[in-house]
Amino acid sequence: MSEPVQFQVNGTAHAFALPRSTPLIYVLRNDLGLNGPKFGCGLGECGACTVLMDGVAARSCVTTLGTAEGRAITTLEGLGTLAAPHPVQAAFIAEQAAQCGYCLNGMIMTTVAFLARTPSPTEDEVRAALRYNLCRCGTHVEILRAVMRAAHGEASE
Amino acid sequence: MTEPRPDKNQILAATGTLCVLRPAQSVAGLQRSAMPRDGALDLFLLVDDTGAVTAFNGHVDLGTGIRTALTQIVAEELDVALERVTMVLGHTGLAPNQGATIASDSIQVSAQPLRRAAAQARHRLVELAAETLGLDADTLEVEDGIVRPRDGGNAGLTYADLLKGRAERLLLSDDIPVKPASAHRIVGQRVPRVDIPAKATGSFTYVHDVRVPAMLHGRVVRPPYAGIDAGEFVGKSLIWVDEASVAHIPGMVAVVTMGDFVGVVAEREEQAAEAARRLKVEWKPTPTLPDLDNVENALRAIPAENRRTLHERGDPDAARAAAAETLDRTYVWPYQMHASIGPSCAVANVGEDGATIWAGTQNPYPLRMDIALLLGLPEEAVEIVRFEAAGCYGRNCADDVAADAALLSRAVGRPVRVQLTREQEHAWEPKGAAQLMQVKGGLNADGTPAAYDFNTRYPSNAAVTLALLLTGRVPADNPVFEMGDRTAIPPYAYDHMRVTVDDVAPIVRAAWLRGVSALPNSFAHESYIDELAAAAGVDPVDYRLRHLHDDRAAELVKATAARAGWQKRTAPRLEVVEGDVVRGQGFAYALYVHSKFPGYGAAWSAWVAEVEVNKRTGDVAVKRVVVGQDSGLMINPAGIEHQIHGNVIQSTSRALKEQVTFDEKAVTSREWGAYPILTFPEVPVINVVLMPRPDDPPLGSGESASVPSAAAIANAIFDATGVRLREPPFTPDRVRAALSGEAAPKPVKEKRRRPWFAMAGAALAGALGMATLALPIRGAFPPIAPPDPASFSAEMIARGKILAALGDCAVCHTAEGGIANAGGRALHTPFGTIYSTNLTPDVETGIGSWSYAAFERAMREGIGRDGRHLYPAFPYTAFTRISDADMQALYAFLMSQAPVKATPPANRMTFPFNIRPLMAGWNLLFLTPGQLQAEAGQSPQWNRGRYLVEGLGHCGACHTPRNLLGAEKGGAAYLAGGVADGWEAPALTALSKAPIPWSEDELYTYLRTGFSRFHGTAAGPMAPVVQELAHLPDADIRAMAIYLASFAGPASADASAVAATLEAKAEASLRPMDSVGGRLFEGACSACHAPEGPTLFGARPSLALNTNVHAAQPDNLIRVILEGIPAPAAPALGDMPAFRDSLDDAQVADLVRYMRAKFAPDAPAWDGLAQTVARLRATPTQ
Repeated sequence: MSEPVQFQVNGTAHAFALPRSTPLIYVLRNDLGLNGPKFGCGLGECGACTVLMDGVAARSCVTTLGTAEGRAITTLEGLGTLAAPHPVQAAFIAEQAAQCGYCLNGMIMTTVAFLARTPSPTEDEVRAALRYNLCRCGTHVEILRAVMRAAHGEASE
Repeated sequence: MTEPRPDKNQILAATGTLCVLRPAQSVAGLQRSAMPRDGALDLFLLVDDTGAVTAFNGHVDLGTGIRTALTQIVAEELDVALERVTMVLGHTGLAPNQGATIASDSIQVSAQPLRRAAAQARHRLVELAAETLGLDADTLEVEDGIVRPRDGGNAGLTYADLLKGRAERLLLSDDIPVKPASAHRIVGQRVPRVDIPAKATGSFTYVHDVRVPAMLHGRVVRPPYAGIDAGEFVGKSLIWVDEASVAHIPGMVAVVTMGDFVGVVAEREEQAAEAARRLKVEWKPTPTLPDLDNVENALRAIPAENRRTLHERGDPDAARAAAAETLDRTYVWPYQMHASIGPSCAVANVGEDGATIWAGTQNPYPLRMDIALLLGLPEEAVEIVRFEAAGCYGRNCADDVAADAALLSRAVGRPVRVQLTREQEHAWEPKGAAQLMQVKGGLNADGTPAAYDFNTRYPSNAAVTLALLLTGRVPADNPVFEMGDRTAIPPYAYDHMRVTVDDVAPIVRAAWLRGVSALPNSFAHESYIDELAAAAGVDPVDYRLRHLHDDRAAELVKATAARAGWQKRTAPRLEVVEGDVVRGQGFAYALYVHSKFPGYGAAWSAWVAEVEVNKRTGDVAVKRVVVGQDSGLMINPAGIEHQIHGNVIQSTSRALKEQVTFDEKAVTSREWGAYPILTFPEVPVINVVLMPRPDDPPLGSGESASVPSAAAIANAIFDATGVRLREPPFTPDRVRAALSGEAAPKPVKEKRRRPWFAMAGAALAGALGMATLALPIRGAFPPIAPPDPASFSAEMIARGKILAALGDCAVCHTAEGGIANAGGRALHTPFGTIYSTNLTPDVETGIGSWSYAAFERAMREGIGRDGRHLYPAFPYTAFTRISDADMQALYAFLMSQAPVKATPPANRMTFPFNIRPLMAGWNLLFLTPGQLQAEAGQSPQWNRGRYLVEGLGHCGACHTPRNLLGAEKGGAAYLAGGVADGWEAPALTALSKAPIPWSEDELYTYLRTGFSRFHGTAAGPMAPVVQELAHLPDADIRAMAIYLASFAGPASADASAVAATLEAKAEASLRPMDSVGGRLFEGACSACHAPEGPTLFGARPSLALNTNVHAAQPDNLIRVILEGIPAPAAPALGDMPAFRDSLDDAQVADLVRYMRAKFAPDAPAWDGLAQTVARLRATPTQ
């Protein structure tokens, strides 16, 4: 077995003596018990598994441990908590931006990364930024409102 | 937040409790579960002496928010705060059996006993308070669980106080009145969902997140008849499973086979996934499907043996015959899928005498029955613990995976979690059925409808839980359900009407999907009345209202039209927005009538859709939808509004984009490229009109707003264009075809042929001079004791390590997943398969007994220590050129590695290449031994680069074409493009097909980082080469770039400008939604490859500049699609997944054809793509 692969998750250092080809999502979910990232397609198509890697959105189902080595990973759990949610989480809660909620992790993580680059987006920019995050319940309207609320304060109806 | 699961027996045994119970009922339905035991009682409500309320409901939350709505109902009737109420949903043995969570019935039907239970509990608690206080119950009121006199005073008793020491057991009564709407304080409020905070913070437990002690991970391997579940072959098609094919995978626990059920179990999830992918399984050929590219013909071809007449009035035949204008129309609905965002998952723990299944099922009790049948256990020995899953909108694979987990758990005697793959969920989920609706009718001279003879044909399917079929436990002769009749009777008062339904045998696995059979039926009803209105020259809303004799419906229709600003018209308005873009407004209305015929209504819904149609491209954009809904009493208007939004978006997606694809055997939509759904930029503005009906009973709102969708959109397209579309999805090609009056082109399927393999090597036998056989085998060097690593200087070893990296020793001499340099990697050449040797200093199996002289001879002459010739896959023709000092350093490094005992497999060379002595002759012809001499007149850097490239770097070994005997060609052919292990090694000279010639800087960047913005990412065998080059100093990489650049064609003056031009040209060429390949690209590739895509970790290679897309052959592009880039040259590039298991040969061919045409529009199209894909798939390199 090769050298353990080291990286940070939500601020804590971890090392895993696993093949470097191991998909990151399984390590986050099964070894660290982090349920935020969801398995959606395994192909990087839907975005349900999104995490932040050094602040950039990454699809953890197609990211290997080798790629994650030495980086700082943030999952949904690392953003905030029930008691103290991250502003984007708070905006999603305020706008009730979930139905089944399975895609929600990807929507929130992608939004956090997007707003860090584009703090004051137009709605068209938000739509473009989330274009490759799929939602099947049709929660798009509430999600758009949540992103606009996170960016601009309370959404205008 | 996890699913609450209190112990029912403890509850019933405890004092300090009030329970409302009802005798357990047998639930009729599509699947009838076991009769309850005599005297069994279902628990509906518990109030305890802490003041907490626990309420039980047999329907589950499918992500629609009914948990919250039920909480509101209970809190309202009990007069407690919402926070006190906990809902327990769906666990068998705990929640009452109320059947499957279907037909939007949770609030309308299944909540009713719960509501009465809460009212009854309140009534009893007030009674107890009255007794305690000595007051009349009528004088008391309740506020948040405190009972007090209405006229004030300090006396107040909490529910908690009242229950101290008591054990109140109430049988649910019909006599206790529930609150009138006027008294509601919680019901009717826009209450936030109870689950969303936990879901938004990662603290919610979905079934995917369930972990139990000692749990293993399972995956299933499904048969090739993907998505087909009826026929003799089902459960009987497995030939054999080669367990040895996965024996090498670490953590393997078991391969489980029963009939056509195949699964694997491993310690870790990725191990199970790998085993499922690698497991060799052989299946019998399966029957050919009807051609489902033509759904109408396929549906017509099914014998109709069970025609039911649902309704008959007047004499439709005579009325039609007498009509002034006959109007017969056919409408077709495609197969569609639920397309849950999360593939289904379950955990099972099966023991000798019982089973616990953690499932995301819609149907806990029916699932329990299936599991009992599958395992041969009594129903009560099976417990289904219900957890939320991804939204399902009908029946997905949630039950299937639960049964899979049960089989695997039983086989290994431990809990097993099974996660289906995206491909399995897409392919095997029971589809929403296709449907054929035919109307025979006409128009009277006065514009009134003459007759409405409606026939609907529905290929039903019971979608028996898959494991029952695959194991043969249940025969695959699925019963035909009477399911085509939902909303089959039109809402309009046609004087002469006949409604018949043909419930026909299934074609593919299907079950209920939102608006089951009602959405297609309403598409026909609401399109047809629009056609009548147009033929009569009457405004379509007015026309409907003339024949809609239901006041509540008429009010909804009027309110919705008014909110939308309905534009009256007597003919299509053909309003031009700008240029080719026209605008239209369409109306449709439906009362969703569901359940066993005659069924009953859920909420009423009406749509005004506003569309823009581009008449040139055929694009339809739904810009705005005004949707009115009458849901009766609304428990949570916010929840209803969300359901309406969801229904509008999902059904717009279905109307515009969705159709399951098939090949001749099976479903081929196995990921989101092959089954596109609506994305954010396409989402319309939605305005909701909620009709206030607080005094009417609540009506199901989970599906109604889907039902008018497709007709409203088709009617809007008609208003915009004057053209009528009668078969969704309304894709650009269909719209263009309709506008041009032609039938839409069916996708052309490339004829599949058997892959053909060139056998180049054998044909060359005669070309090799037999005289070479006479040459003697060279002498052996005597074995030595391995040199002591300490005899080499550390500096020398370190330098040797860098040189080994430059020479890529480990790339070829390391087996996949093996120890570095221990050999065993298969190298596929035209002359056979060679396995690399062990380069570690093991005496027996490696090079431990090799003296320096033996090593040097091998490196410079290609002769092993024992005197045997080595094959020139080992690039000694290049290595001969390295300096003595470097040779010695390399020897020092190799000899100081840890020895590994490993013997590579025997080579499998074709004749005559299996005769090693022939290589002596080969060497005479092609080996020019000797160190490289510096070329005067060139810079030291150039000479250094040449030394690195031609010597140890051996770039030419891959990038130079070889002659018929496998030797690198010389002269102008040097670096002119070759082949490496099944991949094309592109030309590095002026012959390069790259649209922008290589420059020194781009070569440097590429060799240093594995990525060039003007060429792409290192993939295939080049990725590990770049990884190894990371050990070299920048100066050496620069020298290599300088030398290699001297071969490249003239550099572009302004490469960035050329790149921008190429990208703009690609952008302007094909549109993704116009072809199968384009749609695949959009769904499967664009997230990472579209220029305007989201910022994601890793490189975003521009395909318009990509060398592989511009290459003469498609091989590299196909290889990278099939195999991905599993170990990228550098971590910063990010990973590319393999699509081999997600796309079939025809799809990869379509995708590659599109990419070539879009991103290399000036290059000729590639021929024979499907055959090339098949050939490359059959010869994987990873």
